[in-house]
This record gives sequence, structure tokens and C-alpha cells, in this order.
Amino acid sequence: MARLIRTEKEVEGRYEEVWLVVEEDALEQWPAGPREIVGRPATRIDGLERARGEAVYTADLKLPGMLHTAVLRSPYAHARVARIDLAPALALPGVHAAIGPGELDVLVEECGFQGVAVAAVCADTYAQARAALAAIEVDFEQLEVLIDPDEAVARGELIGEPRVRERGDLERGLAEADVVVTGEYRTQVVLHNSMETHQAVVQWLGDSLEVYISTQYIWGVRDEVSSSLGLPPDKVRVVCHYMGGGFGSKNEAGDFTFIAIELAKRTHRPVRCALTRREENLASGNRNATIQRLTIGARADGTLTALGGDYVNATGWGGWSSPVEGPMQMLYACENVKTTTWAAKINQPPMKAFRAPGFVEGTFGLESLLDVLAAKLDIDPLELRRHNYATNDAADGRPYSSKNLLECYRRAEPHWERRHEVRARSTETVKRGVGMASQIWYGGGGPPSYAWVRVGADGRATVVTAMQDIGTGTRTAMAQIAAEELGIPLAHVTVSLGDSARGPFASISAGSSTTPSMGPAVRAAAADARRQIEEIAEQRGTPDAPLGEIVGLLEDAQILGKGGRGPNPTGMQVLTFGVQVAEVAVDVETGEIWVDRIAAVHDVGRVINPLGASSQIEGGIIQGIGHTLSEHRLHDPRTGQILTTSLDAYKLPTFADVPEIVSELIDEPDMQLTNLGSKGLGEPPIVPVAAAISNAIRDATGAEVHELPISREEMLRALRAAALKEKVGAPAGI
Amino acid sequence: MELRRASSLELDGGTPLHGGTELVPLLRSGIVQAETLVDIRGVVPRGIDGSTIGAGATLAELECDPQIPDALREACRLAASPQLRNVGSLGGNLLQSTRCWYWRLKWPCRLHRTSDGFGEECFAQEGEHREHAIFENGFCASAHPSDVAAALVALGATLRTNRRELPVADLYRLPSEDDRRTTTLEPGELLLSVELPQTDRSVYLKAMDRKSWGFPLVGVAAARTEGETRVALAGVAPIPWLLEGSLDDATPLPRNAYKVDVARALVKRAVSSLEAS
Amino acid sequence: MHSEVGTTLAEALRDELSLTGTKVACAEGHCGACTVLIDGVPTLSCITLVHTVGDAKVTTIEGLRDHPMVHAFVREDALQCGFCTPGQIVSAVALVDATPKPSTEEIRHAMAGNLCRCGAYPKIEEAIRTWQD
Repeated sequence: MARLIRTEKEVEGRYEEVWLVVEEDALEQWPAGPREIVGRPATRIDGLERARGEAVYTADLKLPGMLHTAVLRSPYAHARVARIDLAPALALPGVHAAIGPGELDVLVEECGFQGVAVAAVCADTYAQARAALAAIEVDFEQLEVLIDPDEAVARGELIGEPRVRERGDLERGLAEADVVVTGEYRTQVVLHNSMETHQAVVQWLGDSLEVYISTQYIWGVRDEVSSSLGLPPDKVRVVCHYMGGGFGSKNEAGDFTFIAIELAKRTHRPVRCALTRREENLASGNRNATIQRLTIGARADGTLTALGGDYVNATGWGGWSSPVEGPMQMLYACENVKTTTWAAKINQPPMKAFRAPGFVEGTFGLESLLDVLAAKLDIDPLELRRHNYATNDAADGRPYSSKNLLECYRRAEPHWERRHEVRARSTETVKRGVGMASQIWYGGGGPPSYAWVRVGADGRATVVTAMQDIGTGTRTAMAQIAAEELGIPLAHVTVSLGDSARGPFASISAGSSTTPSMGPAVRAAAADARRQIEEIAEQRGTPDAPLGEIVGLLEDAQILGKGGRGPNPTGMQVLTFGVQVAEVAVDVETGEIWVDRIAAVHDVGRVINPLGASSQIEGGIIQGIGHTLSEHRLHDPRTGQILTTSLDAYKLPTFADVPEIVSELIDEPDMQLTNLGSKGLGEPPIVPVAAAISNAIRDATGAEVHELPISREEMLRALRAAALKEKVGAPAGI
Repeated sequence: MELRRASSLELDGGTPLHGGTELVPLLRSGIVQAETLVDIRGVVPRGIDGSTIGAGATLAELECDPQIPDALREACRLAASPQLRNVGSLGGNLLQSTRCWYWRLKWPCRLHRTSDGFGEECFAQEGEHREHAIFENGFCASAHPSDVAAALVALGATLRTNRRELPVADLYRLPSEDDRRTTTLEPGELLLSVELPQTDRSVYLKAMDRKSWGFPLVGVAAARTEGETRVALAGVAPIPWLLEGSLDDATPLPRNAYKVDVARALVKRAVSSLEAS
Repeated sequence: MHSEVGTTLAEALRDELSLTGTKVACAEGHCGACTVLIDGVPTLSCITLVHTVGDAKVTTIEGLRDHPMVHAFVREDALQCGFCTPGQIVSAVALVDATPKPSTEEIRHAMAGNLCRCGAYPKIEEAIRTWQD
């Protein structure tokens, strides 16, 4: 029965209270452990079309008469358009329309960051559009730039109010401490660099609009577009069958979509607007830089008495303040905690969510400083973490729906034990060590989300839901769940998704929420179909007849099951947990770092597809290695202009940067959470990577790393500082 | 733009195109303009014959040829990416431009033409220069990115062009107020082959930000002949840098002093590996 | 081919011939997504001018659809979003044509020019190692 509830909805660590109509979730969970299909490895059901290059991405879509767009973006970090003349562009061959500031909300005169859209041109070919763009006459008046986040905070240039989260009394906690350690940590701007850039193809059909877009959230784009244009939502159809990566950057419609819509309206032609790689690295979002000034107080036995953090998010010209303080608030039991988080408004491109935003950065700072504390107290880092284990939500006391972090620690022990053997392999110039870090993050998903399951006379089923598969293997996981519930082979299930006009509302593919949000809806829909089939069997007096026999009677009739995602458990905190152990080698003369091995143990509830899950873990770890060692968006310190927009200068990890990765999942269903007991896995694996590596470096060399990326210069600086400290016998900590 | 195939070494003012890994991106980004491209793959020698290497040989061919001295072979193996090495030629590699981001992003710097002459500023000096030069960076702080050039300078190789023969080191010149060029190549001049003198042993060591597919933060080539060792560096000066003095003579900028430490360690290792073997 | 001089092979394949299996992710030779074989050699089609190809034989992913490597990639889960995958497969096929049983070192060296932002590398390595199974 449907029920109206008021509930907390969480995406990427941001909460909002919403009224929702939810279906009660009447299904019992399956027993723990692998089932016939769920819990067993499955290859991707859409693997072949992707591998063969047959899958049509937005980038591949060509509509009859389609025009191509080029966008004029501000070359300056802070400027005003003093004069702009589009006429010379319009006069060029092939050009159909040009629009500038004042003609569309996303085209601006006041440019607060490099890359903000100013004007756009569409033409028969992309080359013509580019030529026309160059012909636009535009004068920019450059304005003073503010790019230092600390200075922005000092000047009160903020996005929103500072976020203060406090429990107990920090000063009292510090007074009770036997040892206090402090540290300043900095993280860099990193860029999503999805292989398919942000893009859309749009066409008007009468008063309806079709938007083909590379997106993580079909329904979010539909809402944004319809409300912005004042159209009834059902007049906007949003389609994304295949998309080439998002990592949090594709949760919104984006300027390119609105530009294409306007140009399509003016030209009565389908219009493509696609970002180039260089535009992508200016105008499609980033993981913002942070500055973290941290204090930890502890008793001699390791009990944490105080955790304090002043955090600055270098948010950019827009965006939101990521929960960088989250790990300090949530990871450990501690009575006295105070964090303050500022979001600095600076003349840099706005941040967007990027795979566990805030927690990747915050975990690096907290877990690095915790190891400094462990060394000072002479307590084993793993024991220190166990000692401060939180049994209820550390921030607000709520019970966890489930938490198996202690089991993660236990299973990490053999990897942690290797540190003696690893250290022993050090040489004069190459030092080796092992480090660990804990992981905490969200990933419980939530309502609303719906699915339909259709079973035909051939005994095959189709799952219909207007969600998107962003490359995580969602199609496959949903097919496994439906096949399991229906009791039919996986190969007999297809999944129809990616089209808001063909299927019910489905959740965003972000915040590790897809499987925990959609999976229960799909199972409920399949169960609804199964129940109907069982009812027919009862009526025929053959209650035990196999499904195929019953549906074989259907001819053109179909069984239609529908299902919705039930509510999250009331009054409980739904989180994911884990631990990673990294083994590194450091060349102390050249500052070169090798990550040799990372062992990951995570607790995300029931595992649907162990094969796909291991791919997610490996992918998260490799992205984390890039964030830790080589990726760095650099800007000119005087003008704020971005210098690393191409993939030679911005260094993503390559094949050669990949360590041995060992992964393990606890695979214990969360008994409180939905009919599946599954949480999300997209983000957890990237959270502890940087901290585990920096702690391993400390173990290997004694050097304390304070900045990401751990470039040659940062590594050599840390080594020099450590050598100096040893020489003068300065106390540990900084 | 038009494209024709070269039938001789005379290009009649056309812009030579070989593998295109450097020229095509520069054309498409507007840094280089050309009316006529001349495909020179048919006229530039590409064979490897003992100590003579055609300038048209690809880096991929050189990286696995046992006739090639270690320093050069390793410099090729560690350069760029497999696909770039597959078509990138030896000659093209020697003539590649700097990776200085200001230059690549067309900031009007001292190496770029402007409407009235050349730019008057090196933006890297006061700007972001972690990947830039630690020697001779007073006029232009760009770093020369060719691993191969450093190897050839250390090996004491000579070049043959359609006009002259010259030591590889003489192909390069430091840009100055009066002459902004970084090579001595003349209009219409084509690199044809490289001649390697006999060396006893050689080695190339490279520091990158990632394990593969990176331009050198510092590349160190060393070659030993009859007890004499020559060392040349990539990524440390606007041109391939023959190390005649000491690394103590380096003049790093505020954010690239680490390169001196890295270079010192790699030079020490390169030299001692040659002495040990 | 009707394209103007300056058109790249990738543009000609995708725009003129509608062979969209070849993906373009950076368009400046840095990422490997656009890799095709020219006379069997992995080449970046986004920085290869189509007029320089001449009589050479161009093999794209469309020509490798039934290659065992495609099935190895699916079997080993060696793809996530799939956008870089055709380029990965083209490079992998060239590698095993020359070296049917490549070592880990050889795989990593030959594949280092094909970036995968999803991080499917470990499973790509496994697919290449087991492509004949």
C-alpha cells in the first residue's frame, strides 16, 4: 500500500527533508550468501555492444539535418564583456544562428571564471562553427582576480555560511589529552575527465523537446529543462542509452544543453553541442582544492578526546561546500569534536561532485594525522583505529543499520602483517613500507525509484525503468535481481533503460545510490510478476508448475509487474565502511613513488555481482592513485588561468601506474535496509586510497606528506623535513 | 590547405609532414599555419644501417633494435606513448617544440609571434613553472622535452641534412632577444640521418610524473667512450643540455628546485652505472 | 572521401563513413581512444590526416568485431563505461598479433597509450593474457 512519509534524502553527503509517497516493502530479504544468480559473478549484459563499438553514445548520435555548435568561453578568470558583435560570425558560410549574453541565462557578460559560456554559434559542420566562433568580435575588460582561498575567507567571499558542527567541548577534550598532534593538509584540484565529454543533441518536435545527453540523471535533466523552459515535464523526453563516464560531473543539465535547446529552437533543426576536451577541463566541474588545519587530542592509551578541524573548500565561482569534515565527524568515537568548513568563492571554475566529494580529501587529512598520533603514542595504527571504533553514529548517536568495519579490520590483518616483510626489503635508496586507512561514506540510496517487469509467453522477462547505466554495470545487476526473483536464467532477462518516455522514474546514478535505490524496486516488480504467475498457476490447479509452463499459455498477453523502492529504516544511519592497506616503495633520492600493492576490504551489504564489484573497486583505487600521485590541475598564480586542460599536461594514471590490487567484500546483507540489504559501491573504494598511500610513505621513510598530489617536489620536501627533524631532534608533529 | 607528396628534397616553401604527431595538433590549434603540407615520408631515409639511422625511422623501430646504443634505445622506449612512437620519427622528435603550457596555450610569450614582432614576456618565470628549465631560464624558461635529443647529444651524434652535416648539439640554439628560434634549421632544410660514433656504453634515465607516457621532468643520458663520459639532460633547459659544468650551476626557479635534486641523483646513477659495467 | 585537406582520419571515419565505433575523447593524440590499425600498426586516428593514409589498409573496431579479443574483454569484465574500449581492443589485437602470449611487462608497455578513466586496466590485462581461452 502506498504511504506518504516525510523522510531524509541523502545524495553525496547532502541531506534534504522531503515528502514521499512510498510503497511498503513487503518482501523478506533473501538469506545471506550467493543465490542462484545474485551474488555470483556475471559478465555485463551490454558488454558485447560496448566492446564492439556498436553501442551508440551521445557522441555518436547523428540526426538528419543536425547542426554543430561551438561555444565562446571566457578566456579570463574574471572579466566583463565590454563589447561583443556576433554579426561577423553570422556572415560566414554554413552558419545558422549565433547567440550571446542576454539571450540565454547560461550566456553571461560578467565572467567569474575561465570557461564560463559567453556566446555560441551553430553551423552545418563543427569546423564552420569553430571558424565562426573565431570571427565573433569580443572585447573583455579584465577584472581583479581572487584565487587564494584563505584570502577569500578572510575577505568574507564565501558561498553560503560557514558550516559549524560541534559536539561536546573541544577545549575540554584537548585539556584531557595526554598528547595533541596538529597538522595542515592540502589537496589539489582534480578533474573528472570522463572519456566522453559533456554533450547533448536536442531536437524540437512541435512543442515537445527531445534531449539526448550524456548524463547520470535523466530525470534531473528533465526537471531542469522543463522548469527552465516552462514546459510540462512530459513534453521533455530525455534519452541516455550509453554514456562514457561521469564520476559525479554529469548530474546536471549543463550550459551545453540549454545552448543546444535555444539554437535548435531558432534554427528548427536538431543541434549538437559537445564540449572539447579542453572545454571539459575548464567548464564541467572538478574536485575542489581544500586546506585542512587539524588537531587531534588523545589519552596515552589511544582514546581520542578531541578532534578539531578548520576546513577551507576552494569551491570556485559556484557549486557547494563538500562535506570535507565528514570523516572527522563520523569515523571515530570521540566526545569532543568541532569542525568549521568555509566555502571560498574564488575566480576558478565551480566544483561539482566527484566520487565521494569531501570524503576523499577529508580522509587524507584525518587518517594521515591519526598515524602521526599512533607513532607518537607508539600504538599500532590498526589497534588505534579499533580502540576508537564507533558503535553508534559518532556524530548524532543514531544506530547504524549495519556496520561490519571490525570484520573489515580483521580481514585486513594478513595484509597489515606483511609490513614487517615489506620493510625488510628496503635498500639504501629505496625504502618500503605499509600504510592503512579506514573508509566511511554514505551509499544507502533511497526512494523514490520504480521499475516494471514484463514477462511474455516465451518465459523471458524485460525490466523497464528509466534509469541510466553510467558504466558501473547497472543493467547487469538489475537483470540478475529480476532473474533471481523470477527463477529464470540471466540470459532470459533484458533491461530497457535510458529513456524518460519509456519507463518510470528512477534514481540518479550518483552517490553510490543506484543499486541500493533501484535494486529493491526491480526485485519488487519481479516479485509482483511472479505473484501474478503463481496466482494463475493456483487457478489452474497446478501451483507447482514451472514459470515457463504457465506463461506459455499467454500468447500475446503479458504479465506486468510493478515495484517501488521502500523507505529507508527510520532513525538509523545507513553507511558504508572499509579499510585499505597500501604497500609502497620510495626512492629517497629522486622522490619517485611506486604503489606496489593495495588490499581493499569493504562492507557494502549484499553483493549483487562480485565480478562487477571487483571492477568498481579496482577502478576506484586506480582513480585514487591518480589523485594521490600524478593528477593536478594547475593554474597561473597571477591570472588564475588554467594551464592543464589537455591530457598530456593533466596526468591520468596509465596502465603502467597500476599496482597489484586485492579486493574483498564482506557480503553481509544489511538486514535493516530494503528487500536486498545492498548498499552502493561506486564511491567507497576511492575514499581511503590517498591516506593509505601517505601512511605507507611515512612507514617507509618517516617523512610526513602534507599535500596532494605527492609529486616529486612534495616527496623530496617531506624527506628533507624528516631528515632535518632527525638531525635536530625536534619533536614529532608539526 | 593542400597536401602533396614530396618527390624530392626540395619542398618549394611547403611545410614538411612526417608522422604528424607534433605538427597536426599544432596546425589544429592554430599555433602553426601552413598553406601547403608536403608529405616527406617517401624521401626521408628511414632505415637503420649500423651506425647510420634514417631520420624517418620511427621511435618504435628504434626502441627494439639491438644495433642501437642503450641510451638512445631507452630514450625511445620511455618517450611518449606506444601509438605516438609508432609513427613519430627520429627527425620529428628532434624538432618538437616545448611542452611549456604557456606556449602551447598561445600566451603571447617570447617564443610566439605577435601582431608586431614577438612577445615580450616569459610567463613561466613568474608563473607556474614546476616543469620548466633550471638552466638558461633567464630569457625563456621552457624545457626541451626530447628524450631522444638528450641521448644523441650524450652519444656525440652528428646529423646530416639536405644542406650540411653538424653535431646534434648544434641543431639547437638558445632563444634570444634578437633571434627567437630554438633550432638552427633553415627554411627548406630537412633532417635526413643521424650518424652515431662508436661508444663503449651508454644509459638513459628518466623522471616522470607517472610511470609511462610523460615528458621528462628530468631525463639523463650518459655515454662513455675510452674512459670519457658525456652527460646530457632533457627537460632542464630550453634546449637539450650538455652537462659540462656542475649541477650546482643550475639556476632553478622557486617551484622547480626539486629538478636539481632529481638530476643530481640520476646523473650520479647514470655515471656510476657506466663505470661499474 | 570528399573531405578537405586537414580532415583527420577519425573525422572521416565517424562523420563521412558513419563508422562510429572509433571514439574520439581528446582529439589531440593524448588518450588512445581513437586508435585504429594502419597496415597493422596502432595509430591515433584523431591526429592522422586522412589524405596521408593513401593506399594503406585501415582496420577499425568494426573490422575486429568477431575477434576473440572482443569476447575476452567481455568475459573478463575488461570494460566499464566502454568509451575507451574499442581503442583498447585495437591496441590489444595488434599486440597479440605480434606477440601471441605477451608478458605482463609487454602488456603494460604496449597498452600505456590507451587511457581508461574507469580504471579497467587490471581486467584488460587479464583479457589480453587469456584472449585465446
